[in-house]
Amino acid sequence: MKKVILFLSILFTVVFVPVSGQAVNLYEQHEVTVPLRFDYYYTYEMINDALKKLHAAYPQLTQLDLVGKSEEGRDIYCMTVNNPKTGNKLDKPGIYVDANIHGNEIQGSEVALYLLDYLLDNYGKIKEITRLVDSKCFYVIPCVNVDGRYHFMKEGNYSSSARTILAPRDDDNDGLVDEDTFDDLDGDGNICQMRKKDPFGQFKTDADDPRVLVRIKPGEKGEWAMLGMEGIDNDGDGRVNEDEPGYLDGNRNWGYDWQPPYVQLGAGNYPLSAVGLKSMADYIGKLPNICMVWAFHNYGGMILRGPSTKVQGEYPRSDIEVYDYLGKQAERITPGYRYIISWKDLYTTYGDFSEWMVMTHGAYSFVGELFATSSETFKTYEESKKAKPEADFDKEDDYDAEAMFSMYNEKDREQLKFNDHLAQGEMFVNWKPYKHPTYGDIEIGGWIKYSSRISHPFMLKDLVHRNASAIIFSAKHTPEASMDIFDKQKVGENLYRIRVRLSNTKAMPSMSYQAQKNKLYPKDILKVSGPGIKVIAGGELTDIHRDRVLYKEYKPDVQFLAVPGFGKIEYQFLVSGTGSIQIEYSSRHAGRIVKNIQL
Amino acid sequence: MKINCRKIVTCFFVLVLIFPLLENAEPKKALISFTAYHTPSEVSGIVKDIAAANSSFAKMHTLAATPGKNEMVILELGPEVGQTKKKLPAVLVAANMHGNVPISTEAALSLIQQIVDQADVRKDKTWYIIPIGNPDAAWNYFKKPLKTDTRNSRPYNDDKDDRIDEDGTDDLDGNGIITTMRVKSPNGQWMPVEGEPRLMKRADWIKGEKGVYKLYTEGIDNDEDGEYNEDGPGGVNIGINFPHLFHFFTATGGTWAGSEAETYNLFKFVFQHPEIAMTISFGDDNFCLNPPRSGRRETGDYSKIKIPKFIASEFGYDADKTYTMEEIMEKAKEMVPPDFELTESMVAGFLGLGAAANPQPEDLKFYTEISDQYKEFLKKNKMEQKRLDPAEDKDGSFELWSYYQLGVPSFALDFWTPPKPEEKKEEGGFTPDKLEAMSNDDFIALGEEKIDAFLKSSGAPGGIKAKMIIEMVKSGQMTTKKMAEMMRQMPKPKSSEGADQNEKAILQFSDKELQGKGFVDWKTFKHPTLGEVEIGGFAPFLNNTPPASLLDSLLKSQTPWVFELAKKLPCMKIAKTEVKNLESGIYRVKVWVENTGYLPYPTAMGERNQQIPPVVITLKGEGIKIIDGKPRSFISKLRGHDAGMVQWLIHTAKPVQLHIDVSTPSAWSDTKTISIEPGPGGAK
Repeated sequence: MKKVILFLSILFTVVFVPVSGQAVNLYEQHEVTVPLRFDYYYTYEMINDALKKLHAAYPQLTQLDLVGKSEEGRDIYCMTVNNPKTGNKLDKPGIYVDANIHGNEIQGSEVALYLLDYLLDNYGKIKEITRLVDSKCFYVIPCVNVDGRYHFMKEGNYSSSARTILAPRDDDNDGLVDEDTFDDLDGDGNICQMRKKDPFGQFKTDADDPRVLVRIKPGEKGEWAMLGMEGIDNDGDGRVNEDEPGYLDGNRNWGYDWQPPYVQLGAGNYPLSAVGLKSMADYIGKLPNICMVWAFHNYGGMILRGPSTKVQGEYPRSDIEVYDYLGKQAERITPGYRYIISWKDLYTTYGDFSEWMVMTHGAYSFVGELFATSSETFKTYEESKKAKPEADFDKEDDYDAEAMFSMYNEKDREQLKFNDHLAQGEMFVNWKPYKHPTYGDIEIGGWIKYSSRISHPFMLKDLVHRNASAIIFSAKHTPEASMDIFDKQKVGENLYRIRVRLSNTKAMPSMSYQAQKNKLYPKDILKVSGPGIKVIAGGELTDIHRDRVLYKEYKPDVQFLAVPGFGKIEYQFLVSGTGSIQIEYSSRHAGRIVKNIQL
Repeated sequence: MKINCRKIVTCFFVLVLIFPLLENAEPKKALISFTAYHTPSEVSGIVKDIAAANSSFAKMHTLAATPGKNEMVILELGPEVGQTKKKLPAVLVAANMHGNVPISTEAALSLIQQIVDQADVRKDKTWYIIPIGNPDAAWNYFKKPLKTDTRNSRPYNDDKDDRIDEDGTDDLDGNGIITTMRVKSPNGQWMPVEGEPRLMKRADWIKGEKGVYKLYTEGIDNDEDGEYNEDGPGGVNIGINFPHLFHFFTATGGTWAGSEAETYNLFKFVFQHPEIAMTISFGDDNFCLNPPRSGRRETGDYSKIKIPKFIASEFGYDADKTYTMEEIMEKAKEMVPPDFELTESMVAGFLGLGAAANPQPEDLKFYTEISDQYKEFLKKNKMEQKRLDPAEDKDGSFELWSYYQLGVPSFALDFWTPPKPEEKKEEGGFTPDKLEAMSNDDFIALGEEKIDAFLKSSGAPGGIKAKMIIEMVKSGQMTTKKMAEMMRQMPKPKSSEGADQNEKAILQFSDKELQGKGFVDWKTFKHPTLGEVEIGGFAPFLNNTPPASLLDSLLKSQTPWVFELAKKLPCMKIAKTEVKNLESGIYRVKVWVENTGYLPYPTAMGERNQQIPPVVITLKGEGIKIIDGKPRSFISKLRGHDAGMVQWLIHTAKPVQLHIDVSTPSAWSDTKTISIEPGPGGAK
């Protein structure tokens, strides 16, 4: 999730994303079996185990590559799904999926694993899936921030911590690095909140729910002082938990429009300074056929397209049409998710992965912010009809001090009821006493880390299936070019006219308009050749009714083009000679077609 | 035979005394000669040899292997060689980052030699020197045919066709250099300059001029696509591959800032060495002659700043209004402690006003002062002759990245450009009118020399000399009036107006110092596709590469400026300590830390980008309890020759030694020990 809740938590000690709780069975280590199960979350080890088991179960259709190692030496893997019998992986449109670049945003990895499992398990069983796997190539990196995920699940955290790449950084500018992080004082695997009984405190226990704290009214007697997140002042500087590990936001460290940390929080010292991400950049750089990208985060229920910054300017109109077509359909496949623009409807980010893939690789890219909290409703039918839309705390115009500074608002109360009835109260750790070295007698309590941004496992299957289906829909709309030599006739003495049509029945063009605009790489090539022929003239047939052709002055036998989405492009050649003619079309994203005719 | 004991003993003592001196005092002198430019392999060889011969203070690191299979090396010189964590500050010198300024590599070698030879300059700091930032491109100076090209050897499909690197320049006339082709064309834009037909200028239709030529670089259309030399070998220019103001989608910039191993590994190295306190780039721009330029559009408009809601409400601003930076500063000053120095940088950073694109005003002050000192230095070293201006700093360059994103003082030096052309002074304003008004005698009185000059400047035929004219005037055959008449009727002397000033300077230099070899006269050539062309024009490298014979003197008189810059590094010293006995074992301890260097720590840009850690003052003592203050206290900014104070309140029951340590990675540190004796006596 790209929300800058971390920034706010540094400014104010009252934080509203506490997490911690007793470890629940659903979240612990499990034995991985194929077909994969989706009623629990996978630890870092389980993910790599799952990949290895999938590869062992489907050796013909999969390739497993070690992309690189993280800062702490863990393995980042990529699984490729391709049927070599139908062609080389690089000759097919490539669909790339990754997740968990923020260590705490774990459920995207389950979406990635589900996609792999679904494609492989149903190959040969479901016609559409067989066709998809035979005609496309899938690259899936289920876990990018392997260190983050590992620490998030294994150690004390709250729902928004462990987001960072684990590159050391002096966040509080005191000359020491990462010296004061959270402390799981009660060792329950969650970082919760600390409170202390204090008649001068600003909070009191709620009348209806003893877990809830409400602000006192002016003049009212207080009950509790909030002391911040679970922790102690490790470096004795008077501040608690002010220099956690990192902070390097993996999704601000990429090379397109990278800005230094004082402009973009978490950018790292230079582009791709994170070693795991650099290996990924090198690995992806060797896969020029990638034309569709999905990167999964949490939370909020959004399907984001770029641009990532306002100053960059809007995408070309024709590319927006492709995004609109795919994005709106994705909204239907994952109800409650909104298809929106990154910089405008969320916030500006520099150096993010999505923009990197769009601008330096020429791909179409979505960021999937998984899990809409509205899915944890607790309303009757009538109540839900009357419900107001959620205020978006990130948008400046919707800034609501009351909602921000209250401990628990209506949404939280509803979530607590959801928790009680659908999770039997396990998502919230009830307040319990603790003796703190500095503060004395305090109480610790709050939401567990596997809440607020992560759905309860019983809803996981629905989430992964729907999001995988959205990926599959976009995969179906990667470009598919067909060639039709629709005219061949003699037009003069030793002079023939040949007309060729390249058509595409899918939404994505064979080259994005952004990539064409920036001349990012060579366009598709249409070559006409033959041992006994000579191409005298050739060019794009712009008006077939009036025989208008944009003849190319030099080398008419080699034409450069792109085939539009849901469209066609036609070429005319004037040729002399005899014998066979080979017409070859080759494209980075739309594969290769060769046809032969005789003069 | 009597053995002369005395002699033996004397010899023995002499040997004993001399031997240690012979053993280790003399470093192996670098002995680099500057009579010819060194190839990249020669440079690596020299660096390797120096490192091998002086392992006590020299170490070579290989930063990267280039696509052209060359090595980008960095030479470390200093007393802490071999230690991963350094205690002393360091200076990083990066030469020839664009690869097309050979003299900058020679300057780096000259600097290396001086540092090896002078133990003084390397005893208290580390020098990191990169002699060639772009080794692949640097080879171009040593290859035939000669051409300038800043690209490394990464294969790159410039024209986005179906082939890579298939159409580069060609030495058609076989003279070993790539020059220019000019072809007569109906829509040619270029025409020869009247007064200097070797040069060309764009035709100005307003003046009724008609263009004649189209220009190309020497070569054929190898891939027959109608374009000439549009896809030569390579690659990326390392010199513009840095993250500050990096330009995407350019011909030679690279896909992203750091796309090349040369640049990426340099980033890594720099951030692994926080002791780097200053960077100096050797190339073709110069921050010492003129301060780094301003005038770029800032992404945040300082005249119309909008304050985010949550900051506005906290600090009493109006979120719906826009403010100028001055207005914000005025109000903000009221909110900070009276002695707190609030700068524009801090406010800009706090409000998230985007990346800085111009040098901070405070930093420009020291750049301007240093520029004055540099000009004095040049004068002293007899280097003050007028020469063509150095190039402007380029977006995406090393020196800009260093200033804006590392936050250390960043300097750039160039070492030669052609001298400015001498201005031909009009000889005493000899207009026809003036001449007419003169009497014959006055004219004769001017003298032969002046009359010869007048004849030349007025375009008189070569055969006519002053002597002749004087005789003619004396004899009455010629009068001033007649001469004026003739002058009026003569065609106007051809002016070299419209020619590019830089080209004029280079041409003059070529004629004077290179026997005209810097310019190839236009010669016809039969071109396979363009028909009859003329090949000629300037040889490459003339704008920044002097003949090797000038190297030794140029380098000797300019490179020592680097040591002047190094003298300005910030230096932390404990200026004063004070212990006040407040009785009952309570003491107030005050420490003043002074930056005894000239340069501020950090620069205003370093403050803004928050990359420079504060000066950390630690107080330790056995058994003491710190009642007020932190064991690690900070001073985050010290201007040159400025001091800051930190204080503690401590309690100690028995005598104790207080250890005060002042340190920061990129400045010299200091320590002090104070004894405290509890009791009315106080502290020493």
